[in-house]
Amino acid sequence: MAESQGVSGGVEQNPEIDWEAAERSPEFRALIAKRRSFVLPATIFFLAWYFGFIILAGYAEDFMGESIYQGLTVGYGLALTQFIMVWVLGAVYLRKADRDFDPLARKAAARALEVGRERAGDGAPPSGGRSERGETPPGGEEVPR
Amino acid sequence: MSGFVLAAELNETALSIFAVVIAITLIITYWASKRMTGASQFYAAGRGVTGPQNGFAIAGDYMSAASFLGIAGLIFLFGFDGFLYSVGFLVAFLTVLFLLSERMRNAGKFTIADVLSFRLNERPARAAAALGTLSVAGFYLIAQMVGAGVLIQALVGIDFNLSVLITGAFMLVYVVFGGMLATTYVQIVKAILLMTATIVLSIFVLETVGFNPVELFNRAQAESPAGDAYLKPGLFLSSPIDTVSLGIALVLGTAGLPHILMRFFTVPDAKAARSSVVWAVALIGAFYIMTTFLGFGARAVLGTAGEEAAGTGGNLAAPLLAEELGGGSGTFGGDLFLAVIAAVAFATILAVVAGLVLSASAAMSHDVWSNIVRRDKEVSEKEEVYVARIAAVSIGAIAIFVAILGGEGLNISFMVGLAFAVAASANFPALLLALTWRRFNTTGAVTGVLVGTISSIVLVIISPTVWPGADAEGGALGFYDLANPGIISVPLGFLGCWLGTVLTRQEGKAERNFDELYVRSETGLGAEVAEEGGGLTQRKPGRAPASAM
Repeated sequence: MAESQGVSGGVEQNPEIDWEAAERSPEFRALIAKRRSFVLPATIFFLAWYFGFIILAGYAEDFMGESIYQGLTVGYGLALTQFIMVWVLGAVYLRKADRDFDPLARKAAARALEVGRERAGDGAPPSGGRSERGETPPGGEEVPR
Repeated sequence: MSGFVLAAELNETALSIFAVVIAITLIITYWASKRMTGASQFYAAGRGVTGPQNGFAIAGDYMSAASFLGIAGLIFLFGFDGFLYSVGFLVAFLTVLFLLSERMRNAGKFTIADVLSFRLNERPARAAAALGTLSVAGFYLIAQMVGAGVLIQALVGIDFNLSVLITGAFMLVYVVFGGMLATTYVQIVKAILLMTATIVLSIFVLETVGFNPVELFNRAQAESPAGDAYLKPGLFLSSPIDTVSLGIALVLGTAGLPHILMRFFTVPDAKAARSSVVWAVALIGAFYIMTTFLGFGARAVLGTAGEEAAGTGGNLAAPLLAEELGGGSGTFGGDLFLAVIAAVAFATILAVVAGLVLSASAAMSHDVWSNIVRRDKEVSEKEEVYVARIAAVSIGAIAIFVAILGGEGLNISFMVGLAFAVAASANFPALLLALTWRRFNTTGAVTGVLVGTISSIVLVIISPTVWPGADAEGGALGFYDLANPGIISVPLGFLGCWLGTVLTRQEGKAERNFDELYVRSETGLGAEVAEEGGGLTQRKPGRAPASAM
């Protein structure tokens, strides 16, 4: 893996942290669950709203050309809703990240460092194998999102 | 390109405004070069750029001349369809915000490849990521250079080849001497100039219709030979499946553009990374709404008579509109407005190409040189920055050469389409899966990037944009007539990643390191810390992210 000197390699490694334990810690799972509970539905929603618009633009030209108000068309109106969606979802995400995700992320990070220190104190080597991997708590599978 | 020239002779007003813009950017570059201390300054401006500053810089990096002049031109010529591009370009930032911006900041250092090589075998992973970065940056860069040449020739009256050379020369000065610091500042200045010019022009346009946008649509429609169809989709993008395909490439492609992703390494922490995206969408969104005023305004004001003068793709519609609103050709106001728009367009191009060259040179030096070629040796920061500068000059020289060789006839829209297609089909799947899929392995990343890149290139080459078939109806192959490859190449990129992964053995290392990458990218633990005194303004040292201890 990447060496940490100079500029080569990726980010520096922290050998004292047991990343596997950190990944399975309840604090980290709580962070993932919380973030996913917003990001996953929000992503599905914005993709659906966007592709709905694009598909209408492709297949329902006449509908999109209908006038809602004098010369303002359905198409232009729907396009404006896309802009509003981006701004609103962006603002909501910022708020949620500040209020909900960041405190959980700090907790998860603190927990990982704590475990790392405890282990260093015990003189126990950080576990390297992946054998205990079956015990992931519920919701712990890594679904691409 | 029609080779149409707005300025029959050298436009001196425009030239003097150019000179002012260039003087400002050179002062910035000189100042930045004095503060250039190492690799982190060169690639990432010392990671001290604030969220709002980075938001402006992202906007400056993203709003190319293609969006300023190109989209206004498309709306002028084809009405509603031009606006579809704007919507896709904007919505794409939600993909960036939700899936990548904070994770990139937390897990990366200077390049996309840092994230991949963190958990995968370094050499192949870096090589694949560098290939993706260089293809996207290369195609985009050449498109921008050709666009620059055409525009400067038309607006200022400088010959195409000379225009390309000038653009390339300034781009290289910023990058080579000022690195990311100068590039960031140039992008911020450009974003402010572009927003101001667009706001002023929009006010002038709206004034002609009593500040009633609906009246603007009606007048624009009345001036269009297409009539009712002008305000409907389908004038430009006539095939529905092509429209959807374009939408896919736009909404996922931005999340694979190396010069945009690189900007997230310049901020101190994940919080600044996400706030910069929201600043950027506020600016970019407002800008795209105003481009509809410019496009429809050009149609309402210039009418059918303006079509020929606006050239192929309607690129000169916005400058012509400015001239007309300023008082018309030959008047003082008209000349001044035209000159200002020309200078803004020039600044726009410079900021975008500088960002592109920087991202490409980082891939060459940080990935290819330091971690592939000289992997077994210790590469000093000094050497790496030196290599990055040489790489920038070489990449710039190649882009200038290709742009001049291809000439003004080179099809820009296919190059931009190609850049977005490769970004969406190669870079995006590999990055997303590396950050979220435990089983993902090196073979998967390499096959995914290769399949995504090659399929995009092949599909664009056989598309009707590049290769009108014998009957000039379909593409080179009768059955394939998509101009935008996204609907095929993006799934192929993901499929490549998946097949490469499941068909080869599990990589214990990749999975073990996944834990670390996953925890780091989500929590910011151990993320790169901002340098003391980094960034655009002197800041107090020790502003490390709270979670990075």
